[in-house]
Amino acid sequence: MLGLMTVDSAGDLAPPAPASKEELLVQVALGDQSAFGELYDQIAPRVLGLVKRLLVDHAQSEEVTQEIFLEIWQSAARYESTRGGASTWILTMAHRRAVDRIRSSQAGRDRDTKIGIRDLAVAYDHVAETVEVRIEHERVEKAMTRLTQLQRQAVSLAYYGGLSHSEVADKLQIPLGTVKTRLRDGLIRLRDELGVAS
Amino acid sequence: MSRRNEQHPADLAGAYALDALNADDMAIFEAHLAESEEARIEAAELKDIAVALGLAVAPVQPSAAVKANLMAMLSSTPQLPPLPASRATSPAAMDAAASDPGATPAGPPAATATPGTEGAASTGAATTGAPRPSPDIHFGDASSTPRPSTATERAQTRWFKRPAQFVLAIAAAVALFVGGISLGQALNSNQFESQQAASLAQINAANDSQRAATTTVDGQEVTLVWSNTLGISALLVDNLPALPGDQDYQLWYMNNGGATSAGTFDSSGDGTVWRVLDGTMHTGDQVGVTVEPTGGSDQPTGDPIVALQS
Repeated sequence: MLGLMTVDSAGDLAPPAPASKEELLVQVALGDQSAFGELYDQIAPRVLGLVKRLLVDHAQSEEVTQEIFLEIWQSAARYESTRGGASTWILTMAHRRAVDRIRSSQAGRDRDTKIGIRDLAVAYDHVAETVEVRIEHERVEKAMTRLTQLQRQAVSLAYYGGLSHSEVADKLQIPLGTVKTRLRDGLIRLRDELGVAS
Repeated sequence: MSRRNEQHPADLAGAYALDALNADDMAIFEAHLAESEEARIEAAELKDIAVALGLAVAPVQPSAAVKANLMAMLSSTPQLPPLPASRATSPAAMDAAASDPGATPAGPPAATATPGTEGAASTGAATTGAPRPSPDIHFGDASSTPRPSTATERAQTRWFKRPAQFVLAIAAAVALFVGGISLGQALNSNQFESQQAASLAQINAANDSQRAATTTVDGQEVTLVWSNTLGISALLVDNLPALPGDQDYQLWYMNNGGATSAGTFDSSGDGTVWRVLDGTMHTGDQVGVTVEPTGGSDQPTGDPIVALQS
């Protein structure tokens, strides 16, 4: 508790800048509901954007978003800032939850028809609302162009489509082992590209 | 299709970062992670790349209902303590504290006695805070004595602030059903309040959430919302007249088996009063309201002022 108090005190003395997501998570872990509300305002559109990208259906995506934020509330004390930023923690959780929903429910089957007619490039909506999002978007889109077509398809289907590696193999009609290596090689390539860019 | 069958677990790193592993491969890969520092580093890096893919997606603004539901559920949603692995900073001190909580280590008793003794009961904040280690405590360091009490004060301040925030949360939740409301007049304790709000949010969030509307015998608007799968319902009434001190409104579930009391409430006379019904709602139950002596009756003693079919 003393360790956290120190953070509290520092926060009190600091100028009234908006709290970072990491600071807010510390408050949320202590049961601070208004910090939770603020954290929600900061990142919920990101979470819903990602979840909806996978699930397509809006109502269902909101439902999953609600589950994700309840999980954030419940497990905020388990967030470790030494292991990455709050956005990383939250978006990792969000993606996992969306994928779980796809695998466990009718959602997967319902959205198959929709996903079939959908472009699988990075850019679906060109309505990037903020400069920050646009820059991040363009950065990733550019990095994606450095992948081989097969790597790009495999990574997109897995991450944005929420498909398992064997489903990716079925869809692209390539052996599972190839999918595994393409996913890994693709991400390593992206890591190198994005690493250079930042 | 005759590619080599043999796979190295390290090949699974990409699919792992993308949440694309099935359960079997997940087990294989996690075993691999446990053994290899290098693999853990790669896995963390690739997870970051996956997150970058996630951050490249255009944000979508959720409807106000999502936040309202969440805020209403917080008070009744327990929070987990930190993972044991993350608090191994001072294992010896932890063990001592855990194995003999009654004993006060040599040093100021305040260090163990002060935090959480007041206001700790049933608050999520207190239970969450309690298991946290205090690796920075140095017994005999005078500055450590006031600090815990400050922490306690802070925790209490947070807690005492809750009702106001909470009322807002309920307001938001209720506003999902009807506009322009004055609040939960039947509510009289925090715990009851949080249960009520959580139940209302639950009904609203349920896939099979339904509603029916009618008017009382005197023309006030009445709305019933319910979920058959959850077996709960809530009644909302506009401008229900205040009753004399010796009377309460009483809710009933009514079916072929007769009437079962579902709790009492009162009303200030204007705005919307609402109450989640006690007990379990069964599909097809009617919900009725009667005026009864304060505290309620075992069976309705008068005609219902309103009855709705679910």
